[in-house]
Amino acid sequence: MTPNDETRLIAAARKGDSRAYAALVDAHQQAVRGFLRRFAGHWADADDLAQEAFVTAWRKLGSFEGRSSFRSWVSGIGFRIARDTKRAHGRAQVRDSDWLNEQENVEGGAPVEDRIAVQRAMAELPDDQRAAVALCLGEGFSHSEAADILKMPLGTVKSHVTRGRERLLRALEPNDER
Amino acid sequence: MNAEARLAAALGQSAAPVRDPSFTLAVIRAAESERFRADAALSMLRWGGLAAAAACLGLVLAGWAGVHWDEVQNGILAAGGIFALVATARLMTQRLAPAAVR
Repeated sequence: MTPNDETRLIAAARKGDSRAYAALVDAHQQAVRGFLRRFAGHWADADDLAQEAFVTAWRKLGSFEGRSSFRSWVSGIGFRIARDTKRAHGRAQVRDSDWLNEQENVEGGAPVEDRIAVQRAMAELPDDQRAAVALCLGEGFSHSEAADILKMPLGTVKSHVTRGRERLLRALEPNDER
Repeated sequence: MNAEARLAAALGQSAAPVRDPSFTLAVIRAAESERFRADAALSMLRWGGLAAAAACLGLVLAGWAGVHWDEVQNGILAAGGIFALVATARLMTQRLAPAAVR
């Protein structure tokens, strides 16, 4: 989707065109869901959070100024919803069994031990650090986009990503003998 | 494979979702139902306001009518007179029109 297409769809969605909004959701759902899955750490709830983020974005579309991309804006809404939900419900439970079932369905690529080690290490990162890592290393957002989404200074995001990466790499060390 | 590559592979695969049309559908359904609820609430608020205003006006009129009962009676009589006059005029017009055609 080109930026022009996105602008046109946003303008149509602002006027209440739900088909235009569906096209926007379709184009950006993978990035938002992927980020929230990495940030929230468990699967079904993350999609609920992503759904809530898109519904909130639809409601607040009038206040979207276009300074960032639509994808960044919705990811930011999702991040704040996820953080507030976690605060409201206390420490989120890590549903290892569900997660492992999902992991076993992924064929090829990284060994399952690595994926489990990384997932566990991600769950242990502080929230802001995990969000920065999920955005920049997981979803390929730039540092400045992540700073905009997380409403943090650019230097803080860079530092979160560096420290987070170091911790994740350390988590892979016990499996290094392969 | 070095540790950086393993990390990239593990991070890339651990959560990447496939594009899911049912997710889009669920979002649009939820958004539409939220919009419907908001519209319904606004409509209820509007009609509730109108009903409250009408009730207030009714109460004020009832209070005024209690104090000025003579004027109310005169008003009712005058309105009745006007109504009777209009009804008679219409009746006569209806009877005269066919006669004029003939």
